[in-house]
Amino acid sequence: MKTTGRLDIIDRRLLEKAQVVPLTLRPWASIANELEITEEEVLERLSKLCQRGIIRKVGPALSPERVGLRASTLIAMKVPESRIRKVAKLVSKCPEVSHCHQREHEYNFWFTVAAHDVVGLEKILENIRHGCDIAENDVLDLRPTKIFKIDVRFQLV
Amino acid sequence: MDSVDIEILLALQDGIPLVREPFAPIAKHLGINPDEVIERLQRLQEQNVIRKFGIFIWKRKVGIIANAMVVWAVPSNRIREVAEFISRFKNVTHCYERRTVPNKWEYNLYTVIHGFKRKTVREFVEMVSKEVGVVDYLILFSVKEFVRRSSGRVRPEGTGTP
Repeated sequence: MKTTGRLDIIDRRLLEKAQVVPLTLRPWASIANELEITEEEVLERLSKLCQRGIIRKVGPALSPERVGLRASTLIAMKVPESRIRKVAKLVSKCPEVSHCHQREHEYNFWFTVAAHDVVGLEKILENIRHGCDIAENDVLDLRPTKIFKIDVRFQLV
Repeated sequence: MDSVDIEILLALQDGIPLVREPFAPIAKHLGINPDEVIERLQRLQEQNVIRKFGIFIWKRKVGIIANAMVVWAVPSNRIREVAEFISRFKNVTHCYERRTVPNKWEYNLYTVIHGFKRKTVREFVEMVSKEVGVVDYLILFSVKEFVRRSSGRVRPEGTGTP
């Protein structure tokens, strides 16, 4: 990636540390302290990293199930290579889809969907399957039964 | 969550301002003390309404280009033990148990693993496989990411959206 080389060690340490921001009056001051730089430098570096498109957001991630999205699933589909782009376009347009990847496997198209309840979820899935014209037999509906871990933080140093 | 919590989340869910006191503007807007905003955010975090508060990175832009969903077929009486073992590692961001599709798809444990190189991810998976003694797994590397958005959002009336 073209941006990789341009991150110095302080950027990397900042990107790693700031993945958890303390909920205090001046959160950047504590991060600055840990990195032994000034609060101004933290803010300057963060805004540059935002401008460069390396940081996509500074703020909270909310738990879907705690804000009313009680039903979710992971879908895997077999999509012919020639139709991947079209299917991706359609699935991406669906606001209930949070992640969508093409992966290396016979089941090559994977996405996650969340909805208020199971009925709503199934309606969305039916619409997607029809819209994409994928046979039912080429779809795996992998409902979660237990979450053991969600902790999206990356080690960069 | 009361209406003040919702106002706060509505104001902050797409991002806080990059200023020394990022919670001051919303406090002023709501006519409350910044300390109260912070107390409310802390409570929302304790209640797991807020799962994480911090920066979100486009991982590919910092060189984390290997993203694999690794699916494992684990005997059901060993799920917890295997899941807890693999969840201890920092490069594993997600670990879920999911329903199988009998006779078609017998994988029941789903992990998302990240790395700077595919080789590192493969070696990590081989290590885990040996340690836990589960040999039936698939490494599904991402070749293209089409969507990444937060599904958890509040709406003015306090229910989730899309």
